[in-house]
Order: sequence, then C-alpha cells, then structure tokens
Amino acid sequence: MVKRVVTGNYAAAFAAMLARVDVIAAYPITPQTFIVEHLSEFVNDGLLDSAFMRCESEHSAMSACVAASATGVRTYTATASQGLALMHEVLFIAGSAHLPVVMPVVNRTVAGPIGIWAEHNDTMPQRDTGWMQVYVEDNQEVMDMTIQAFKIAEDKRVLLPIMVCLDAFILSHTVEPVDFPDQDKVDKFLPPYRPDHAVLDPKDPMIIGSFSPPEYIQEVRYQTDETMRNALEVVEEVNAEWAKEFGRDYGGLIEEYKTEGADAILITLGTVTSTARDIVDEYRAAGKKVGLVKLRFFRPYPTEAIRKVASKCKAIGVYDRAVSFSAGGPSWIEARNALYGYTIPVINVLAGLGGRDVTEPDIRLMFDKVLEAAEKGEAENEIVWIGTRGVKP
Amino acid sequence: MFEVRFHGRGGQGAVMAAQALASAAFQEGNYAVAFPYFGAERRGAPVMAFTRVDKDKIFSKTLIYEPDYIVVLDDKLTGLVDVADGLKDDGMAIINSNAKPEDIELGKSVKCATVDATTVALETLGQPITNSAILGAFAKATGLVSIDSIVAGIMDIFGSRIGEKLAAKNANAAKVAYERTSVGTCKGTMTYEKGGKWLPDYKELPLGLATRPMKTPEGLVGPGSFVDNKTGSWKTFAPVHDPDKCIMCRMCWFYCPDGAIKEVGEGDAKTLEFHLEYCKGCGICANECPKDAIKMER
Repeated sequence: MVKRVVTGNYAAAFAAMLARVDVIAAYPITPQTFIVEHLSEFVNDGLLDSAFMRCESEHSAMSACVAASATGVRTYTATASQGLALMHEVLFIAGSAHLPVVMPVVNRTVAGPIGIWAEHNDTMPQRDTGWMQVYVEDNQEVMDMTIQAFKIAEDKRVLLPIMVCLDAFILSHTVEPVDFPDQDKVDKFLPPYRPDHAVLDPKDPMIIGSFSPPEYIQEVRYQTDETMRNALEVVEEVNAEWAKEFGRDYGGLIEEYKTEGADAILITLGTVTSTARDIVDEYRAAGKKVGLVKLRFFRPYPTEAIRKVASKCKAIGVYDRAVSFSAGGPSWIEARNALYGYTIPVINVLAGLGGRDVTEPDIRLMFDKVLEAAEKGEAENEIVWIGTRGVKP
Repeated sequence: MFEVRFHGRGGQGAVMAAQALASAAFQEGNYAVAFPYFGAERRGAPVMAFTRVDKDKIFSKTLIYEPDYIVVLDDKLTGLVDVADGLKDDGMAIINSNAKPEDIELGKSVKCATVDATTVALETLGQPITNSAILGAFAKATGLVSIDSIVAGIMDIFGSRIGEKLAAKNANAAKVAYERTSVGTCKGTMTYEKGGKWLPDYKELPLGLATRPMKTPEGLVGPGSFVDNKTGSWKTFAPVHDPDKCIMCRMCWFYCPDGAIKEVGEGDAKTLEFHLEYCKGCGICANECPKDAIKMER
C-alpha cells in the first residue's frame, strides 16, 4: 500500500482506475474538472484501458453512460452543480433501468447567484431519481467509497446507480494523505461486472426503456423501491468486507461518534462532520454530553439506524447544507419523517450555504442549541439558521 | 500543530506552494492538509491557500483565521490586503520582497523573513512565478521542515502537474532562495482599516442580489464599481507604448480584456493611452501589435 498526499479529485479519479472502469463519459465543470483531466491522462498514458468520451454536455455524458451501462459494462462519470442539474432527466432513466453507474458529484452551489463553492443543493434535489447517495468527509473516504460504490451498485440485489458526494474545494481541491489500495486486493474485492438484466448481445436481443403504458410502470417503481431498500443491507455487508480487507471501517449507513451516554446528538453529513468531531472531543472533555452521527447514506435512507440513535438521547439536531424553501433542510425533513411518533425535540441547523465556511464557533452553537433542547425537552425554534446576517440563530 | 496562510495572486501558484509544503511535512512523518480559498478565479486576483501540519490526523475542515505563519508571494499585496490579519503575536511572516525585514510594514511587528523570490524565480525559471522559491525561504526562516523535504515536496506536487524537469528547476529555485533569505523583525506602525467588505443584513441585501450602482461605506458596488476596484496592482510587467512605431490600427484596444487602452487626441495627434491602474499586465496587447510598438517591462 502506498500513501500519498493528494486531492479528493485525484482520489476519485484513481479509484475509478483501480475499479478498472470500461467506459468514462464526462464533461468538465468546476470543481470536478480535475477528476476528468486525471482520468484522461491515465487513459492517454496507457495506465487505464477504458473508453474515454468527452461529451458536449452533461446531458449527453449521462445519456452516454446510460447507453454504455446498458450494454453491460462498468461505467463511470463525474459532475457538479449545474452539470448535475443538466443531467436531471437522464438520471431517472439510469435509475429505473437499474444501470449501476458510479458518479462522484463534487457538491457545488447551483446558481443563482452563480457560485462555485460547497452547497448540497445540487445533489439533494436528485433524491427521487433512483440513485443512491453517499456523503463523505475526507479524501480517504472519497477513494474507499468510490471503489465500494461499484460493489454496492452492481450487487444483484440492488443494481442501482450511485453518487459519491464530496464537498467542493473542502475535499476536491484539498490535499491530504491517502492510502492507495493495492490493485490486486481491489481486483479481489471487486470482480468484473457481469450483469444479465441489461446486456448487449445480438443473439439475445433486449429492449430497454420502451414505451410503457400504466399496466407496467407502477411495478417498475416498486422494483426500484425494493432494490433501494435491499441496498440498506448491502451497504453494511460491503462496509464490513472493506473493513476486513482494507482495515478501514466507515460504519456502513451511518457512523456514530461518542454517542454513548449522549443527551444531545448532532446528525451531520459531508465535511462538517470532520470539524464536528473536534468539537465533540472538546465538549466531552468539558463534561458536556454530546455525540455525533455522520449520516453517510441519504439514499437509501437509514430509517432504522436513525431511530436507534433517537431512542438513546434526549434531543437531536440535524445539520443541512441545503434548504427546501419554507420546509427546512432536506436531511432534517427525512430525520423527522423517520422519527414520527418520537417525542424528543429534533431541530434543524442550517449553515455553510453557498460555501460559507462552517467554523468551530458555528458548530459549538449547533451543539449548544441541541443541548438546550435536550435540557428543556423542547426547542424555541425548530429551524435555526446559523451565521446568516440579520437572522437571530 | 502549526498553521500557515499563503497570500498570492491567481497564477503565482500559492495553492501549489501550500500543497508542496504539506507534502514536505508529510514526508517528514507528519499529517498535513493544504487547501485553497479562491476569490475571483482570475490570473492576478488575490488568492489565499492554507497548510495545516500536525503529528496526528487533522480533522478540522475550516479556513485558518489565526495562522502561526503567513507567506506572502507578492509584496505589493501587503499594502492592499491586511495579510497579517489574525497572525499570532509570536508568529512569523515570510515575504517575497527585495527589502530588508526591518523595512517591511505589516501593521504588526512580528518576526519576519524576506527573500527576493521574484528575482530568484526569473534567474532559475525564467518566469516571475515565486511559489517554489518562497518555500526555500520558509524552510530557512522557520526550521520546521528541512530544505531537503521542501525539495521532495516540490518534486512530488510540481512533478505530478508540470513534469519532473520543470519540478527540478523549481526545487533549485527553493534552494537558491534558501541561501538568500534574511530574517529579522518587521515594522508595525501602520493600521489597516478593518471591515473593508460590503456585508449587509439579508433585509438590506438587494432581492436576489440584483445590484444597482450603490455607494456604501465600504466602497462602490454594482455596475461601475470598477472605478473603486483598481486591478492594476495585479501585474508584474507593464506595457510601454512607442507612439512612433504605432500605426493606430487599434488591435491592442480591441484585444485588451480590461478596456485599459483608450484613444485620445484629435486628427493627426490621435494616440493611445494605457490606463495602468486597470492594466493587469497580461501582455495580450504586445502580443497582438503588428508593429512591435508595445513592450512589456517590469
């Protein structure tokens, strides 16, 4: 195993090479561009034997991925922000046709006004497209999850596409030490993709995505729903196998950090998790009973895991880096849905929109709000905007 | 743990410098992280990059507000940006300048090292890109990483981006700068004005940020705000126009991306005026001129 100081974008590209992807179809967009550039270099330098298509738009890139994956080959792309928005209609086709495309998405704010920094308002609106979504917190996890993503997506019980979501610049352009898994170990972990539900074989022809009247589509929807639920188990299995083979355990659907005996638990996703670990350490050292849950998978949503967390604490805060206007952050909405019938306060903390830095004082304030709710058994405000000028948090 | 903030301009390579420092520290057995903060994504615009180094894994993913060290790749930035903002009292500034540390003004008297990295870069690379040279000064001034590790860090980060040959030239720039670095204490007599940025409450912010020309205490915003925002300090080279060679074809005027060239005078007295307070020194005018009437000079 080699350890190198690399960006999240490099880790995402290298992981695709380790996974021996057959087809890459992509279009560059800040801050994802380096992923595509690195891969084009790997292919050019003969390091990766893959068909590399530089398409004229993200809509075309996703269309090419759908077509490639439907022939039965391992397919990869990457995008961000407006690029993902432009792919939107084609994402449904990959999801409903059960095409296990793997796509890192470098989470970037969707205009307007135009910005290039981290926000989750690109991936969150894609939650109903039939794609799985995993949010990661450091560059090692970018590498490890991109490889695991193929294994989860290609599992016969799942067969769904997946987005590996990494925060713009905070991971994509940040270098930190990353363990590079050995190729032979990855080969053993991830055997070649050999599907039978969608393949190109002139002797055994198929029609995929044909015109379908109401007699069929509802069952197709149920298939996607069932396979998405199957993924809950597969994610845990793949995580366990990864931990055994590579020595890094990410906890599967969620990761709990110091939740034992915690009165107040904050559920985070993405890179804020990482800074929040330091604050949990600091608060625990000061005798404050706080804990952290890193929500890794947003689709499939780990309802049971979140319920277990809620049953052992007095209040929950859910951090969001996106907002569903007038209704709160998407991750909070899901948590509240999962916790219907539970009586503990579940509050929403919103911060870091448009890529604003989520500072240590911001995260302390999040924990303080949840601690206060735990103590009182209720919250003054259910939705708390942190660091917004002119808005009392 | 030590934290470093790099100040540079787009195109000077502050980000690669921060990364190479992280790689150098990593090769000495540390955990190290480096990340950029981009403002306007344009060559010449002020940018920041950060490096954090610790013995153990670093979890913090925030920007750095109270650095132990600041590294300034362009000393013209020191008059424009409060580069020492938040710098710890026992911290240190490493500055690309041909002045002595004692003549540097940072609004804060701290330990300071200077090196004429621009000259080093021109000598060793043939280009005024100072990101590798300044790292040699960092090694000399702080002693936190060895010059050998800086060389290894440059070979790693620069090597993967621009190839081994050019990386080796950059490693040499660091070694030359290492030898030419002077260490002392800078001046702190001037006071930087705080809060130079227009940051209204959401109620005062124009709806959807559709902004009309406005005078704010922090300066002009909206259309025409360029009047306040003089970008001429971004350049290393400035155009020098020779009216005798000029045939007034106006190709330079047409191609100038900043509208910094203006036609003045009447009839035969017509000539071109170069507005250096907006010229970013890109050299496109000199490149387009069919009569070689524009020279770029430092």
